[in-house]
Amino acid sequence: MLPSILIYGLVNSVILALIAMGFSLTFGISGVANFAYGGFYIFSGFVVWMLLNYLHFPFLLAVMVTIGITGLLGFVTYWVILLRVRGIPLSEVIATFALGVGILELFRWMGFVTYEFTLPYLKKGMIMIAGVPLDYQRLFIIVIGLALILFLYFFTHYTRIGLAFRGIAQNERTAISLGIKSDRTAALSLAFGSAMASVAAVVILPLGIISINTGYEVLLVAVAVGIVGGLESVPGILVASLILGYAQIITGTYFKPEWMMVVYLAAIVLVLAIKPSGLFGKFKELEERV
Amino acid sequence: MIRALLPLNETLIFYARFFNYTLREEDGVMKKGISFSFMLFVLGIFVLYPFSAHAQLKPGDPIVIGVPTALGSIEGRDGWMAIQMAVEEINAKGGVQVGATKHLLRAYSIDTREHEPGIPVHDALTAMEKLILERKPHAIVLGNFRSEVLLSAMDLISKYKLPYICSIAMTPLMQKKVTEEYDKYKYVFRNGLNAPYLAMYLGGVMGFIKKEFGFNKSYIITQDVLWAKGTGGGLEKWYKENGWEVAAFDTYATGASDFSPSMIKARAQKAQVIVPIFDMPQSGILLKQARAMQIPALLAGFISPAVTENAWKVFEGEVDGMINMIYEVGPIPVKAVPKSVTFNENFGKRWGEKARTELSGHGPGPSYDAVYIMANAIERAKTVEPDAVVKAIEQTDMQGVIGRIRFGKDHQVVYGFDPKETALGVGFQWVKGQRVVVFPEVVAEGKIQLPPYMK
Repeated sequence: MLPSILIYGLVNSVILALIAMGFSLTFGISGVANFAYGGFYIFSGFVVWMLLNYLHFPFLLAVMVTIGITGLLGFVTYWVILLRVRGIPLSEVIATFALGVGILELFRWMGFVTYEFTLPYLKKGMIMIAGVPLDYQRLFIIVIGLALILFLYFFTHYTRIGLAFRGIAQNERTAISLGIKSDRTAALSLAFGSAMASVAAVVILPLGIISINTGYEVLLVAVAVGIVGGLESVPGILVASLILGYAQIITGTYFKPEWMMVVYLAAIVLVLAIKPSGLFGKFKELEERV
Repeated sequence: MIRALLPLNETLIFYARFFNYTLREEDGVMKKGISFSFMLFVLGIFVLYPFSAHAQLKPGDPIVIGVPTALGSIEGRDGWMAIQMAVEEINAKGGVQVGATKHLLRAYSIDTREHEPGIPVHDALTAMEKLILERKPHAIVLGNFRSEVLLSAMDLISKYKLPYICSIAMTPLMQKKVTEEYDKYKYVFRNGLNAPYLAMYLGGVMGFIKKEFGFNKSYIITQDVLWAKGTGGGLEKWYKENGWEVAAFDTYATGASDFSPSMIKARAQKAQVIVPIFDMPQSGILLKQARAMQIPALLAGFISPAVTENAWKVFEGEVDGMINMIYEVGPIPVKAVPKSVTFNENFGKRWGEKARTELSGHGPGPSYDAVYIMANAIERAKTVEPDAVVKAIEQTDMQGVIGRIRFGKDHQVVYGFDPKETALGVGFQWVKGQRVVVFPEVVAEGKIQLPPYMK
């Protein structure tokens, strides 16, 4: 059982990391908690499905177009909605959450409720690792998840936009004084975060069926991982994903699977009680020390 | 009773005459008191009139059928489509004969959203009450999706005294409530399959599997909702009574998207049959995950996304070998039940071939039948007065899409293995892209085969 737990715990952890990464990136840079994240995730799934089934796009083209569209949606969301409420956290949360609900319920209203909405595997088949069968799709999830983390690191350290992101995240006023445009950077951060939700969707959704309710659950996962790891910290997201991913598999295997969902909630309560900034978060570090 | 028989103005005149007569008999002191009582009574009639007016039908009035259900669920959506079909068919023949006049049916739906995680019971009940108050239905069909909501809705139904035939929610506690407090809950019926009957069918399938292949070790995995756990519990009892070993009984929260812990344990404990019982879309993940992890066990239970005719295409053949349940025939045409074949064909003609191939395995057949049961009962009762209609429904004995329809004393339609005697659910197996009915033996169109990965 141990090899199975190790392998599927890792798969679960990378899935959590993939889901939480975009949410964390946006918050870390612009300070905006994008609660439309689950909506963007499901939006991506349905857009890919429509491009494949209605317009008969090749899979990779459909994926690229969808990531672009979702990124653009995030960008537009900033200029049209968030710009007006920027700096008022509660309004930001309400505005983005309303947008997410609007997207999800629009699909429900349009009749996207049947069981026909599935995305194809990138490649069918499986390999054996330490006697445990692992399908290629889950293997791809691990590879793409790790690749995305590396990409994020290099992007934020070695590109002009990435450095601007970090500049804004570290000190917005100083960054502005150096010529970095705050709103444009924040809009780009939303676009990148949304595009990452899209990447997560196209690799994770083929594991099952695209269901509207998944959008709400994805938001819960993203928030839980973010709170545990520290909303603005990429290393924190990684560590939190590993903790929660393995905690869930161990809970499901050795205790009861119905408690797997409780792991998220328990972790949120625990971290908020002990270290509200999260394991690697710094937003309230000074207050916490005091 | 008087309110049910007379229109409002006549009712008022009746009571006014009654009180006038009484006034002449009493002295002056009592006169004031009675006048006050009379005013209160008139006020009461105005307040209560909306609740009783529905029981009266004038020539030309339609019979209103209310359909409060989870329209966003595939079961609710299909059930609502089936109801519209039945209403159209009945109206095309001139409507329902009530005494000397014929009345057209008119159906109104409302989305209770009760299938969605996080929707509280009272939200669903509010939607239901909104429909009752705004549309003033004479009867309710299809109804609740979640058992938890059905149990609460029974009080609402009792308050408004509306004959109600439920076709989706499956808890046997409904029957218990009807039996224990008949006068209060007599308006509630169910023609869809309930959890004990599902356990009965699954037990039958398991007995068949044991006989054919000698399997005796199962692993139950259910959704963490009342009906699914009830079914799993019933099946676990059946297993223990029939010499099976139950390796584990796991439940997953609605919305769960990773089932690897159960798959890991099923492999380690060498389970021969995995019994999933789920009605959530995410259960498609379980099916794919079982195949991806190459679990060498027969999947036999209920996974709603794998029921529909198009599931083979949706899952790219990964459903191969799985034994699934159609709770009530109709979504799958069974030759032994001719109306199920007609229903299936007509559904395709009315709503398109795509909709037909997406028909869910639970709800459409009984929803369609519920309209006919209700229309038939009103015709026999010669009124829409609730108590009379309830009595007539109790005496129902007709052939429907789901087989022979008769209600037990607990207001549950009787299910069994012979459609000439009872309503029918079937077990089918996915074999090379086709759904082959394998259980009950009376209506089976093929034998259970081991899937390719177990040979």
